[in-house]
Amino acid sequence: MPPAASAPAAALLCGEVRTHLLPVHQALDIRTAAQFLGLRADERVLLSERPNLYARSPDTLTGVDCPLPTADGARTRAVGTVAARAALTEGRVLQSSAHVTLPAAGPDRRRPWGEYLVRPGVAEPVGKLPPDAVADGVLGGGRPGDLDLGAIADGLLTRLLRHPLIDHRPPLRSRPTRLRWAALPAAPDEEPSLEFTLAEDHLRTVRLRVPEGTPAAEVAGLCDDLALHDWLLTTVVRLFDGIRPDTPAVLAALRPAVDHLLHLWMPRARVTGDLAPLWDELETRPGFTRQWETLVRRIRDQLALHAIPSPHREAELTP
Amino acid sequence: MTGAVFRETAADPRTQAVPLSHLSLEIGHLYLEDFEAGPAQLRRHFAQVRPWAEAARATAAAGPDGRRPRISTCFLVDDYFTRFSSPAELVPMLLAEADRAGLVIDYLARESSCAVTGGTPVAEAVAGRIVESPPPGSYGPRPPAAETGWLANGERSPVARAPQAMQRAAAWQPPAETAARRHSVFLDAELWSEDPGGRRLWSCPFLAAVWQLARLGLLRAAGEPVLVPRAHTGGPFPDDWDDLPALIRLNPRADPFAAYRTCSVLPSRFLPVEHAVRVILDQTEVDRAALDQVADRSARERTPVPASVADRISYVFYAGP
Amino acid sequence: MLVFAASDKGGTGRSVTSANLAYQRALNGDHVAYVDFDFGSPTAAAVFDVPDAVRGTRERGLHSYLEGRATEPAVIDVWRRTENPVLRAWPNQSGRLVLFPGDAGGGEFATDEEALERCVDLLLRLNAEFDVIMVDLSAGRSYAVDMVLAATAHPRMRHVRSRWLVFHRWTRQHVIAASGLVHDEHGILDSGVARGHDGDALRGSIRFVRAAVPDPDSALWSRVSPAQAAWMQSTDEALRRLAAEYAIGDSVVLGVVPLEPILQWREQMITEEDVLATQIANKETLKALEEIARKLTDDTCWGRP
Repeated sequence: MPPAASAPAAALLCGEVRTHLLPVHQALDIRTAAQFLGLRADERVLLSERPNLYARSPDTLTGVDCPLPTADGARTRAVGTVAARAALTEGRVLQSSAHVTLPAAGPDRRRPWGEYLVRPGVAEPVGKLPPDAVADGVLGGGRPGDLDLGAIADGLLTRLLRHPLIDHRPPLRSRPTRLRWAALPAAPDEEPSLEFTLAEDHLRTVRLRVPEGTPAAEVAGLCDDLALHDWLLTTVVRLFDGIRPDTPAVLAALRPAVDHLLHLWMPRARVTGDLAPLWDELETRPGFTRQWETLVRRIRDQLALHAIPSPHREAELTP
Repeated sequence: MTGAVFRETAADPRTQAVPLSHLSLEIGHLYLEDFEAGPAQLRRHFAQVRPWAEAARATAAAGPDGRRPRISTCFLVDDYFTRFSSPAELVPMLLAEADRAGLVIDYLARESSCAVTGGTPVAEAVAGRIVESPPPGSYGPRPPAAETGWLANGERSPVARAPQAMQRAAAWQPPAETAARRHSVFLDAELWSEDPGGRRLWSCPFLAAVWQLARLGLLRAAGEPVLVPRAHTGGPFPDDWDDLPALIRLNPRADPFAAYRTCSVLPSRFLPVEHAVRVILDQTEVDRAALDQVADRSARERTPVPASVADRISYVFYAGP
Repeated sequence: MLVFAASDKGGTGRSVTSANLAYQRALNGDHVAYVDFDFGSPTAAAVFDVPDAVRGTRERGLHSYLEGRATEPAVIDVWRRTENPVLRAWPNQSGRLVLFPGDAGGGEFATDEEALERCVDLLLRLNAEFDVIMVDLSAGRSYAVDMVLAATAHPRMRHVRSRWLVFHRWTRQHVIAASGLVHDEHGILDSGVARGHDGDALRGSIRFVRAAVPDPDSALWSRVSPAQAAWMQSTDEALRRLAAEYAIGDSVVLGVVPLEPILQWREQMITEEDVLATQIANKETLKALEEIARKLTDDTCWGRP
C-alpha cells in the first residue's frame, strides 16, 4: 500500500464534537493554553490570536476495529484510526472532537497495524462501505459495540480535565453539548449543503454534502465552529431559565455571561474556502447571529435596568 | 483586487526535511560487557560483520537505475545504562578495529541521546506517539490502564480482578496476538520502569526503537529534526561522554545519516530486543510531515519504501554472543 | 453542591427520602442530578418510576462506568422518562432532574485507584453542570462511602462543597447505629480523616435526618388512649436523650420526616397532588421534605453546632 500521498477518495467523513465551558476561575491565556493542550512533547500546539484567541492541540489517534453504526443494521467492520483533538477558544470554551475518514472500499481482511498508522484518521472498511446507511447510523447513534466517536472525544476531554492547570471553579454552571456530523461527497454538479438538527438531550446532528476531496480536518473545523456557536446560544438562553425579572438574582445570573461569554461570538473565524458559504445558510435560517444579538440586547437591557441606582442608594451617596 | 496576506507562524507549523541515504547500515552496538571483553572481542565482531555488510551493500546497489546507492554506516555506544571508558580512549580503538576489518564507521551515536537530546525529551515524545493496535472489538473507549509502561502485540490475559458481589470471577484465558496466523506469538515489552523518585528509566528495546526512527529520518521535535549529525572537527576525542556530540560524523565523505531503510548487523542475542523493537515501531505513529517528505523523496527517486515503518528495518543476526 | 445520603442500616427510607429532596430542589428551579451509588441494590429507577431505564442500563450504568467498562455513564431525564403522570407534568420554571442509575443487576464491588479517579471525574463534571448533586450511598461502612470520602479529599475536588445527610429511624438501635456510622472507629469521620479530610470541617458538614418518626402531637395519633400517649411521649423523650448522648442530638439534626405510609409502601415521590387532590399523603410530610430540601443550601444550618 503506498503511503498517504495516494490515499483513496473518502466516501464518508464523520465526527463528534463535545463543547464545554472550561472549568477554571480565570480564562487561560494563550501561553497557558499552549501548555494545557500540549498533548505531545514533540508537536506544537497551534496558536492563533486573530481574529480571536484560539489554541488547538495536535491530533491524537485511537485504534479501532469494530462494526460501523448503520441505520439498516447491516454489519460493516472497519479498521484504522480515529483522530481526536482539543481546541480552546479565548481560553474559556473547550472543545474535544473526534473524526474519521472512511474510504469506499478496503481489503477483505485486516492489514498489519503499521500500515494503518501511516494514514492517520482513516478507518478502512473490510469490504465495501454503504456510505448512506453509515451516515444515518453515525447521526442516529449506534448499538453497543459500534464505532463510538463520542467515547473517543470524551476520553480526550477526561484526560484534559485531569490537567493540574484546571482548578474546577467554573464561573457559571453550564451544560455541555454534543454535536455529531456526517459528510458525504457532493455530486459534481451539486452545491455543498448542510442540515442542522437540534435533537433531545443536548445532541445536535449535522448532515453535510461537501466537495469531493475536502479534507476531514476542514469539515471538522466547520463543525467545531458550528458547535461552539450553538453551545453559546444554548448556554445563554439557559441563563434566563428560572430567573424572575425584577429581582437581584438577575444580576447574579447574567453577570457571568457578560464576563465570560458575550465576547466569544465570532462565526466563521477559522472556516475556510468552499465550506464558508454553508454558514451563510444558517445565518439566513434560523439566523444564529440574529438570535445571539437579541439575547445580548436582552442581557444588556436587564443589567442596565438593575444598574439604575435606587433612591435609597442615591441618598446614601449624597454627602 | 487587493493582495493582503495575514499569516501567524504559530498557526502555520512547518516541518524541516532531512537529507536521506538509501540505506543506514548499523555495524555494531557496544555495551559495557563487550568493552570489558577487550579489543579481541571487537575484532571478532567486526570480522563477523564484514561479509554481511558487503551483502547489504550489494542488495542495496541493485536499484532501479543502477546508480550508486547512498549508504551510511553507524555505530551505537551505550552511555545510558552504564558509563564506561571515555571517548578519548574508546573511539580511536573502535575506529582502528573497524579499519582493520575493512569497515568504515561514518557516524557514531551515544545511546543516551535516544532518551534526551539537547534538552528534547526524545523518548518521552515517541512514547506519546504510541497508538496501540486495537484487538477486534475495539470501538473507541480506551482501556482504563493504558499508561502502564508495557506494550504488547495483542491482548493480554484478563487480570483477575475482584468481581462484584455475588458474581463469579472469570476463568483464565490465554493472551492472543492480534495479527496471529492460527497460533499466537505473544510479546509484551516493557517500555520503561520508574525509580522510587518517579524518574523513568527507558528500556533497551524502547531506546532501540527511537534509534531506528532517527535512522529512518522520522524524528522531529516541533518540526525540527532531532539527532542532527555534527562533524568531527579533528583533534582528540573528549574525556567525558557528555562532551561528545549526540551524533558525530567521523567520515567527512559519508552519505547522509538517515535513510529510507535500515539494516543492523548484530549478534543473535539481540533477537528478543529487536522483536520488541518491531512491536513498538508497528504501533508508533510517526510525524506525519516527516513521513510525507520521505514518501515524496523516495517516489521521485523511484525507490519504493514500504508503507509500514516497521517494514523499513531489517537485520542480520550472526551466530555468536 | 454535593449532598451524600448515607445510613448505617437499611430500611431508613434513605433512597426514597433523598430522591424526594432532589425532586423538591428541582421544583424550586435548581438543576439536580441524582446519583445512585447504592451499588448493592441499585433501585433509584423504580423510585423515579422510569422503568424503561432499567432495561437500558445493564451495560452503561454507574457500575460499568466506575469499573472502566463504559466511558460515559447512562443518564436519564426524569421529567421526560418517568411514567409517574404527576412528575411528567412538571411545572414551569423547574430545573432539570436527571438520574444516573447503577447497572441493572449490579452488585457491590471493591473500588480501586482507577475507579476513584473516574468517580472524581464524574463528580467534577456534575458539579460544573448541576446546582445540587444528590448521591445515594450503599448502607453501612460500604465501598461507596469509602470511595466518596476519598474522592472528596482528592486535590482536584478542593473547590467543591459537599455535605452529608445520615438517615436513621427513630429507634434505640438505629440511633446508636447512626452515631456509630459517623463517630466510631472506621466511621465516616475516622476514615475521612485517614483519607485526608479535616476532621472539624467534615464534622461540620454532616447532619442527621430522622426518618419514619411517629409524631405524638400529630392528628394521626390523636385518638390513642391517654396511657399510650403518655408512653409515646416518654419514649420520644428517652430517644432524644439517647441521641444527645450519642452526639447526634437536635443541634445536628437537619430535619425529621414523619412516619408516612406512602413513603413506606409506595416508595416514590410525594407530590402536591398526593396531599391536595387525592389526600393520600400528609401535609406535614411534604412540609418536612420541603424544609429539609431548603436547608441543604442554608449555611446557617451547617458548620460546627
